[in-house]
Amino acid sequence: MTPVQVTGLGAMVPHGSDLQTLFAAIMRGDSAIHPVFPELARPAAAATVQDFDVARWFTRLQLAGVDRVSQLAVAAADLALRDGGDGAGAAPERMGIYVGCGMGGAAALDAAYRGGGRVPPLTIPAFMPNAAAGHIAMRLQAQGPVLTYSVACASSAVAIAEAAKAVQRGEVDVAIAGGSEALIVPGVVVAWQAMQTLAAFDAQAGARAAATCCRPFALDRSGFVLGEGAAFMVLESAPRARARGARVYANLAGWGLSNDATHLTKPDAAGQARALTQALRQAALTPAEVGYCNAHGTATPIGDVVESQALVRVWGDAIAELRVSSTKALHGHLLGAAGALEALITVLALHERKLPPNAHCDAPDPACGLNLVHEPDTAAPTLQAAVSSSFAFGGSNAALLFTRC
Amino acid sequence: MSSLKELQDLIQQKYGIDPATLDPNASMRGAGIDSLALVEFLFEVEDRFTVSLPDEYSNIDTLADLARVVDELRASATSQTA
Repeated sequence: MTPVQVTGLGAMVPHGSDLQTLFAAIMRGDSAIHPVFPELARPAAAATVQDFDVARWFTRLQLAGVDRVSQLAVAAADLALRDGGDGAGAAPERMGIYVGCGMGGAAALDAAYRGGGRVPPLTIPAFMPNAAAGHIAMRLQAQGPVLTYSVACASSAVAIAEAAKAVQRGEVDVAIAGGSEALIVPGVVVAWQAMQTLAAFDAQAGARAAATCCRPFALDRSGFVLGEGAAFMVLESAPRARARGARVYANLAGWGLSNDATHLTKPDAAGQARALTQALRQAALTPAEVGYCNAHGTATPIGDVVESQALVRVWGDAIAELRVSSTKALHGHLLGAAGALEALITVLALHERKLPPNAHCDAPDPACGLNLVHEPDTAAPTLQAAVSSSFAFGGSNAALLFTRC
Repeated sequence: MSSLKELQDLIQQKYGIDPATLDPNASMRGAGIDSLALVEFLFEVEDRFTVSLPDEYSNIDTLADLARVVDELRASATSQTA
């Protein structure tokens, strides 16, 4: 099978858009999480994109009916393509766009509900979940497959896997794959609070309490924090990348997709293990050859234990050598864009041979039993392969396995 | 009083289009205000001028035509309340 390579990266996420700056912040363990919506009955925190200059990508006229989720998506996809050398002249009909998005234009829908009966006429085109993909296609003039995957928290990991298949099969020369999510609006935050999955924190204890409230794999973890943003990567075949002299960040050596088929929201170690095993098999790697896992790690009481069980099941005796961290502690849970951002961080970790810390975990939960990365800026001079996991409501699991070139 | 100046101000405020560059008698679509943006603009006009544009005016294409319709609707509203 033709190897698939990552030749461009782009992000518009809570830690910014400059790849080196955002990776350095993650490596230091800087949290982008802060309190939001003080008017809500229960304290709320989120990681938001603070320095997004939308005027770099849209005139005010172009913004008509364009929700924030599409704005962030266009920016990140454009940055990815530029980082990859503008696709090296891929013909428009040979370029595909693969976008993960869980909810679509949440701000547009929230505004419609709050409009007192006056519903803005562009609510539908702003809200529809595939709007982001359509806007990217128009902006980048991609005329091949332009697809949207809505698989909850695995959306963008699935999008990347599907894009890799299209590259491998020769359906497209260049794929821009990733995801976007922008649902930090009061109605959605309250809905997630009602689901009892968000991290608790003492609103009177200051910003630090909010910034550190997401504690994956820690004994005192209580859930995740919502995040927003978009991240994309450029995928192309190794022969094409070589022929054009592209800078290659990593190989996307394997991917695995599975479903628990047991429960809509309760995670299942066997289902997760199937996805991880598939990715290893496709990459023709043994577990011992994979040195780092960017875990799904949502910091829910059950989720982290089940994920640990899945990793132990697949890695077996090699589990002690697998370094693990969940960077959601720092950038929040980007839901439909989580897989893409975490894949991007995994690729940079592999490329730089540095491991991001599993932050805010002073007391690891012995029930998880993983070799967590505790220190910031941890060097990994022999790292050859790394995996990024995404597990979703709906039972879908996705694993993306990257190797060094 | 014509609503044209207010409409020009609104279009500048909302879309950053300088009135000097948009001939009131030229097609708004031709100036880059596509069908989606125009629908959104008409919605804003309704809010701003407290009028309701009948459906038959949804294909209005020039700012001058829109100003005439808004003038008529405002005059009609004024006469009804007088």
